[in-house]
Amino acid sequence: MIPPVGPSHYLVLSGLLFAIGLAGAASRRNIIMILLSLELILSAANLAFVTFSKILGNLEGQIMVFFVMIVAAAEVAVGLAIAVVMVRRTGKSDADSFRNLKW
Amino acid sequence: MMPPHLWYLAPELWVAGLAALILLVDLACKGKGSREIPLGAAIALLPVAPILLLQVNLGTRTLLGGMYRLDPLALFFKVIFVAAGILVLVMTREFSRTLERAHAEFTALILLALLGMLLAASSASFLMLFVALELITISFYVMTAYLKTDARSLEAGLKYLILGSIASGLFLYGIAWVYGAAGTTSFAGLRQALAGRTTLSPGLALGLLLIVSGITFKAACVPLHLWVPDVYEGAPTPVTAFLSVGSKSAGFVAALRVLHELFLPASNQWAGLIAWLAGLTILYGNLCAIPQKNIKRLMGYSSIGHAGYILIGVAAASSLGSAATSFYLAGYLVSNLTIFLVISAFWQAVGSDEMADYAGLSRRSPFLAAAMFVALLSLAGVPPMVGFFGKFLLLLSAIQEGFLWVAIVGAAAVVISLYYYLLLVATMYADPPKDPTPIPVSLPVRLALYACLAGILGIGIFQEPCVRLSLAAVRSFF
Repeated sequence: MIPPVGPSHYLVLSGLLFAIGLAGAASRRNIIMILLSLELILSAANLAFVTFSKILGNLEGQIMVFFVMIVAAAEVAVGLAIAVVMVRRTGKSDADSFRNLKW
Repeated sequence: MMPPHLWYLAPELWVAGLAALILLVDLACKGKGSREIPLGAAIALLPVAPILLLQVNLGTRTLLGGMYRLDPLALFFKVIFVAAGILVLVMTREFSRTLERAHAEFTALILLALLGMLLAASSASFLMLFVALELITISFYVMTAYLKTDARSLEAGLKYLILGSIASGLFLYGIAWVYGAAGTTSFAGLRQALAGRTTLSPGLALGLLLIVSGITFKAACVPLHLWVPDVYEGAPTPVTAFLSVGSKSAGFVAALRVLHELFLPASNQWAGLIAWLAGLTILYGNLCAIPQKNIKRLMGYSSIGHAGYILIGVAAASSLGSAATSFYLAGYLVSNLTIFLVISAFWQAVGSDEMADYAGLSRRSPFLAAAMFVALLSLAGVPPMVGFFGKFLLLLSAIQEGFLWVAIVGAAAVVISLYYYLLLVATMYADPPKDPTPIPVSLPVRLALYACLAGILGIGIFQEPCVRLSLAAVRSFF
């Protein structure tokens, strides 16, 4: 018997998304994949906001989500721009190849 | 007659209007004569100072549907941010030859980051705080990677972007949990919901932990400090200077708002953790600074060390600790920007950031060497410079609140920091110069250096007015 889907399921899903995003950003070597993982982290937060908004019955969380989506778009636009310039310079999109500065 | 609401927002409107104007003027002039734009912007920012002084009489008021608030703490930090913005723009003019292109966009980005800092100081809800901090950080991503032909600048920009976005993600997820547990994102509502709560529910504790880790990234503290040395070294010098002063102060104003304004009743839950972070940050920054060869990298580690000191004031969670945090940041502004003004003047003449090239600076430019010497002593905490009094207040607040061990760590680290700062002084004064040609210092840089030195010695000797202001700034929290 499968229990009906409730708010707690969404919170668990958002926690999973958050963990997958963090792990991806930390372990992936391709810049595009790293940017994708970063988006996943923000989406996890958005899902949590919407779920809490539903549980609490106020709209503040949903308003927050609109702003987060805009910020996420700005962030990824800048990230892709930097990635394009780097790939043009080096011909590689592998984060391991950027080692001019001591890490 | 201006509507009263706009008068409260005057500094922000001025900065935003200036940024838009610069982009338009550059479009109309087709980029001609754009090298003087940073200096023009610095002069155009000067009227914001009297506006801020006039706003002191306005008292505390919340505007824009509870998003924005003008209070003494916001005003105190806005003065710091505007002063930093003006000095950084003066530095940008020195740097414009290296910049080569698009000076107007660079100036506009500095102004947008400044706008974000002003809004962060005034934010009265987590929504505003998040958007303001992102405005700062995204402007800095672009500015860090601005030297398209310099591989180090691009790499620094990419590293900053990846780690910065992870930190924003942590911060945002923390806000989501605090919202879920307390039911609102506005500071006024949260303060009511959290009043008298000495223990935190698991949701609130998780949220607070994530928010604090997001803030430690901005303030350059352990555990999210890894980006600092690389970004400081790779970014254009004015950007490094603005990061070290403006971005750090924005992180700490957020820390004061969240921890001291909202979560103060539960301070026994988080103060110990922050004190540990402070101790670790101080030791990490100061120990790693010792073997550095590049001066911007050295300043990166030194800035981690200073972030640790400031964190002591946050951990103390008393009005003295809070005031000491604000006071220290004001002193750090003048001391650190003096050093970055010298670094950018030196870079303009010599084209190097290596510490070995600073040999014999006292003979090539006695003024630059002397300014650097005074600022380094202030950073190390030697009386009568402002850095001494700031450290004194911070350590005092730690002892008052029972964090004696942090105070001892801080005092011990002063000795370590004196060692690597004086090593640089010895290079400047004792070693013979490789190339004895004098280093020219342009008039704006000279004036900016005089202003900073006046701040270091003036606030250091007559501390009382500034301490009084910083105490008044945090009075409403305690």
